[in-house]
Amino acid sequence: MKILCFAHLSEQLGASSMELELGPISVADFMAELKNRYPALLLDHVMIAVNEQFVEQTHVIEPNDTVALLPPVSGG
Amino acid sequence: MSHDRYSRQQNFGPIGTAGQQELAAKHVLIVGAGALGSGNAEILARSGVGTITIIDRDYVEWSNLQRQSLFCEQDAIDQLPKAVAAANRIKQINADITVHAHVMDCTASDLTSLLDTSKVDLMLDATDNFAIRYIINDAAYQYQIPWIYGACSGSYGVVCNFIPGQSPCLHCVMERMPIGSASCDREGIIAPAVQMVVAMQSAEALKWLSGNRTQMSDRYTVFDLWSNMHQSIRMDKTGKHEACPTCGAQPSYPYLKSEAAMRTEVLCGRSSVWIRYPRQEPLDMNLAASHAMQLQAEVKSNPYLLQIQEGEYRLVIFQDGRALVHGTSDSLEAKKLYHRYLT
Ligand SMILES: [Zn+2]
Repeated sequence: MKILCFAHLSEQLGASSMELELGPISVADFMAELKNRYPALLLDHVMIAVNEQFVEQTHVIEPNDTVALLPPVSGG
Repeated sequence: MSHDRYSRQQNFGPIGTAGQQELAAKHVLIVGAGALGSGNAEILARSGVGTITIIDRDYVEWSNLQRQSLFCEQDAIDQLPKAVAAANRIKQINADITVHAHVMDCTASDLTSLLDTSKVDLMLDATDNFAIRYIINDAAYQYQIPWIYGACSGSYGVVCNFIPGQSPCLHCVMERMPIGSASCDREGIIAPAVQMVVAMQSAEALKWLSGNRTQMSDRYTVFDLWSNMHQSIRMDKTGKHEACPTCGAQPSYPYLKSEAAMRTEVLCGRSSVWIRYPRQEPLDMNLAASHAMQLQAEVKSNPYLLQIQEGEYRLVIFQDGRALVHGTSDSLEAKKLYHRYLT
């Protein structure tokens, strides 16, 4: 599974993208797993897109999917 | 008007002379005259959009000049209101169009009275906080006027069209108003990220205003110029929520209600400001505290309130969204601090 980390998440992770051996896994479980592996990641309010589609918490992510983690951004 | 002025734009097939005439008859409201407001206003003025209204509550500072393209050093020396400085420059760029500048806060009532008294074809979001965006979102769906969300921070940016009757609204994409979202004074900002958002927003604006509405993007587009990543996200499956208070079957437009507006009150004889901002949901105190700590502020909390110390300022925040800001008697400064930590 490919994970893309946008904005401050890439600084917290130390990389803008990574590959994880995961799935099939629900979005909710995926987020819990991510928080567990990388406690430094601030994931509150972060939006999840799987293969460039917003998905619900119950959506199941497959091993070959690309998951984008998108923090909300307010600056302008 | 020189005959030649818009020739290159008219030679672009999808716009043509007909599209150019459409642009001249249109009125765009730009909310915010900072980085995104500057860039969008300049492009739309050069493009010949007939009327531009620009709103901003702030004044020009030196730290703006790195990316806010309508301003010059003299504007910062004079501390001109951004809306006024922007309008001055726009008039130099294109004397044939009409420009209205409003130095104001853009509360729900400011916005609705503006929409009640003039016909606006499109709203461009060039603000820097979500509190205003939820107001714009409600106003857009109530008045059936599309708005284009744009935001940037660091090397990261987002653009999304919200078109009443066609797209899900901001509420549907972000159900809860984010706390501690990425902003410019915190994470910094590079000018190319601004220009990228401006390019996408103004292209969408030109499509809508020139009569090319079917070309409007239906994606939530994000990019990061530093890590070379780009995503264009479909929103349809999460879809329009029937129960959405803004775009659902029975909308209530909660952010336009007068009791939902942010109010400030300067306390006499003390350098403190009260902020009242009734939230739609109770404030998540733990989340707010952890974000404040990320910003290197000193944080103290108990189950009832949260205290944030930043230099000479101290914010005392209650769960219902009220806050007391100590260390200033300037309500604008107090609001800035509130937005920095809580929206
Ligand atoms: Zn909605």
